[in-house]
Amino acid sequence: MSKKYLGQRLTRNEDPRLLTGQALFVDDIELPGMLHAAFLRSDYAHARINSIDVSAARERPGVIAVFTAQDLGDVWQPGPLLVPPPTVIPGVVFNKRTQVPMARDKVRHQGEALVVVIAENRYIAEDALPDIVVDMDPLDAVVDIERALDPDAPLVHEDLGTNLASHVKQENGDYAAAKEMADVVISARLYIDRGIAGALENRGYVASWDSKEQRLTLWATTQAPIPLRNGLARILGLSENQVRVIAPFVGGGFGPKIMMYQPEEILLTWASMKLGKPIKWIEDRQENFLATTQERSQVHYAEIALTKEGHILGVKDVFVHDTGAYNSYALTIPLNTQTHTMGPYRVPNFYSEFRVSFTNRILTSPVRGAGRTYGVFVMERLLDMAAKKLGMDPSEIRRRNYIQPDEFPYRTGIIGQDFAKNILDSGNYPATMEKAKELIGYDQFLKEEQPRLRAEGKLVGIGITSFTEGSGVGPYEGARVTVEASGKVSVATGVGTQGQGHFTSFAQVVAEQIGVDPKDIFVVTGDTDQFHWGAGTFASRGATVAGSAINAAAANVRAKILQNASKVLEVPEEEIELVEGMAREIKVPENKVSLAELAVRANPMRGAVEPGAEPGLESTAYYGPPYGATGAGTMSMIVEIDPETWMVKINRAVMAHDCGTVLNQMIVDGQIHGGFELGVGNSFFEKLHFDENGQLMNATLTDYLIPRATDLPRIEIGHLVTPSPLNPLGIKGVGEAGAIPTPSCFVQAVENALAQYNLTILEAPLSPNRLYELVKEAESA
Amino acid sequence: MKIEGDYLFNGPRDEVWEMVRDPNVLATCLPGTQSLTKISDTEYEGAIGIRIGPVNGTFAGKLTVSDEVPPEHCTLTVEGKGAAGFAKGVGHVNLSESEGGKTLLKYTGELNIGGKLAGVGQRLIDSVGKSMIRKGFESLDKTLAERIAAKAKG
Repeated sequence: MSKKYLGQRLTRNEDPRLLTGQALFVDDIELPGMLHAAFLRSDYAHARINSIDVSAARERPGVIAVFTAQDLGDVWQPGPLLVPPPTVIPGVVFNKRTQVPMARDKVRHQGEALVVVIAENRYIAEDALPDIVVDMDPLDAVVDIERALDPDAPLVHEDLGTNLASHVKQENGDYAAAKEMADVVISARLYIDRGIAGALENRGYVASWDSKEQRLTLWATTQAPIPLRNGLARILGLSENQVRVIAPFVGGGFGPKIMMYQPEEILLTWASMKLGKPIKWIEDRQENFLATTQERSQVHYAEIALTKEGHILGVKDVFVHDTGAYNSYALTIPLNTQTHTMGPYRVPNFYSEFRVSFTNRILTSPVRGAGRTYGVFVMERLLDMAAKKLGMDPSEIRRRNYIQPDEFPYRTGIIGQDFAKNILDSGNYPATMEKAKELIGYDQFLKEEQPRLRAEGKLVGIGITSFTEGSGVGPYEGARVTVEASGKVSVATGVGTQGQGHFTSFAQVVAEQIGVDPKDIFVVTGDTDQFHWGAGTFASRGATVAGSAINAAAANVRAKILQNASKVLEVPEEEIELVEGMAREIKVPENKVSLAELAVRANPMRGAVEPGAEPGLESTAYYGPPYGATGAGTMSMIVEIDPETWMVKINRAVMAHDCGTVLNQMIVDGQIHGGFELGVGNSFFEKLHFDENGQLMNATLTDYLIPRATDLPRIEIGHLVTPSPLNPLGIKGVGEAGAIPTPSCFVQAVENALAQYNLTILEAPLSPNRLYELVKEAESA
Repeated sequence: MKIEGDYLFNGPRDEVWEMVRDPNVLATCLPGTQSLTKISDTEYEGAIGIRIGPVNGTFAGKLTVSDEVPPEHCTLTVEGKGAAGFAKGVGHVNLSESEGGKTLLKYTGELNIGGKLAGVGQRLIDSVGKSMIRKGFESLDKTLAERIAAKAKG
């Protein structure tokens, strides 16, 4: 089949609506009699609640209701686990403590909800918050993730008797034996700090209980509408068919919006049912810093053993991961770290062990990169240190260790976030390195440009690092494709959309199958009344998993079209092509019938359809991969450092990337651009500052710095295509690729620029201030 | 957050001590103080209005004096909270006699803040805090001069 639509740089079907303000977001929902909510949140990170007096707030004119945990009755209970623990890993320890709807006896992180006020408008609801008197005794907080595991540390969950949330060990081969044989062993302590996802749109909900229809509708900024619907039905004692969750346009997900049964979701739906009125709540930016999940904090004790030729014999990594006050999302992030530490390299002996600690901070969830970035950071730093020790170029030590194109499928033996033993399905890793070097002019920079610029006194450096991106994991997604009587096509799938371009790339998949202009294909995502089986948009799986389900449904519809057209045109199916909304005989193009007419014939008003035939040109199909498809790439960047301010400017950045078949090159480019921006934030700008009491000290976008357009170069992208054998389209995920290699590439480039100081940078993110400190430390050493 | 500093008062140590331990004087001299009531010899209750950048509000709380060694030393513990957050500070105050009948006040302490005050005001709290303390001392110094003058008149 020739690729007429797939892979094209089509402009996005949804953009006219988005760019002219016509797209529906949650905050656009206005319903008659709608009330508004505001939450009183804890100022303390850890405190015992003695009493909460809401009587004055209840009396404020315009306040409709005020609820505390005590008012919730049986609805108050720790929420369900969102992801099960990986019991397939032998000896795994998992101490479940999931998020609660509102703090009842004690608060475990700053920003935890204590009271919800429902009022005629948001102003009144917020004005009523200071009317509430909360008597709390602050407790010692635990913030440091290693300190949390000390026997005398304050306990986040007293009943557990420890802050150990999890302990997981995995080994492939025999690291200890490998170390014995090594010529070079390098070890280091590496630290990676917390950041936010920083979506343009904060969280928001409108919950509306219709007592006559006995039905609850929730408009939600969620990445997982179907599981959210199912879970809410269970919590509220409703049938799943009584709950409709709609995720309209969402201004960025990036991970935290995969969280479900969050306090606000439970409280707003419960309150709407209790009051019989619609209720809206839109999170403000301050709340987003305190009450929306964040990612990471990891401390790694890592070690690499090599031959003197730079071949890896083994890697050992023992790390601590921070889950925050609860562990509702189980172990996805540290498992991603564990499986991505080996990256694209042959690591014959690998030992990885992690402990997860509870701390008095907001719980963590995936954020774009979702733990992969830090496994990559550890490995790439180890390789850089090894290269330095062996006097080898960073690109050379990598070249010597890549898994080769003929070694796939490659089994790493380590169990990942999908609970399957990780298998790298396909790829050409050395080619990504070659392509990246060519794009940035690596050799020429080192030989000519850098010496020239250094002679001028400039601090310029280059970095080059590789990565893999495990993506497109199961369990499954589904889709329904229908050719309507107008000849237009509708597609419904369960995943939600947060700006990924689904309305275009999914339309291209269908267009390729049935020969209809993508502009005539109407895609519906994230409405549980339209499609109600599926898991959600996460782990770079939208295109791979939902895209494959759509492809399967569209292929079925194609078969139906050909079958029906064959009867009408009186030629065999093989002699028919589908072009421009028509089925026509290849040799005699005048012998044709429109899909519109075939759709009407397939759904007759009188007569009878043939026994066994399903009506309409419609099909529903599902796709579940045996394991995730793994993308890969190499990033390179050139930085320049201002020796006065220690500001780092990225002059150039390139990415040689392989995500298998590309559905729409412009959309893939956009994913890499966006991921890179977040990666730069994780490298240099974005750092949450908590004090020892668990207080977030920079909870504004004035103090917490997100990279601006002027901080970023235009990233140049080289596309390489090694189709995945796991799905018929050959797709691999790309949503997180831009973020994953960035911190490791950035610090390597900074070290290279500051070669005269011989720095070894073991942390991310950096800042001008921190860089200055590191240089001073190096100077005095 | 650590706080420390000093201030040279134009008057004898006994006078400075007396003034620092008088809630009525403190209430008029500390910027933003709305009330300060003596509960016992070592405890006071009060309210203070604070504006730090976009954060402003009234903080109600308690001031406790301990480790008192007149007229040399005392420890002040302040705890306050309001809609904009909370603050808890412990300060050690030392008075020593200086040349020319002056008194040197030195203070060191630790201040913990939380809520919006911390999350939004952190960037400004250092400079706002220093300016509040300086204004407070200047105002106390003025009162000191007035008290000395009044005593001189008899």
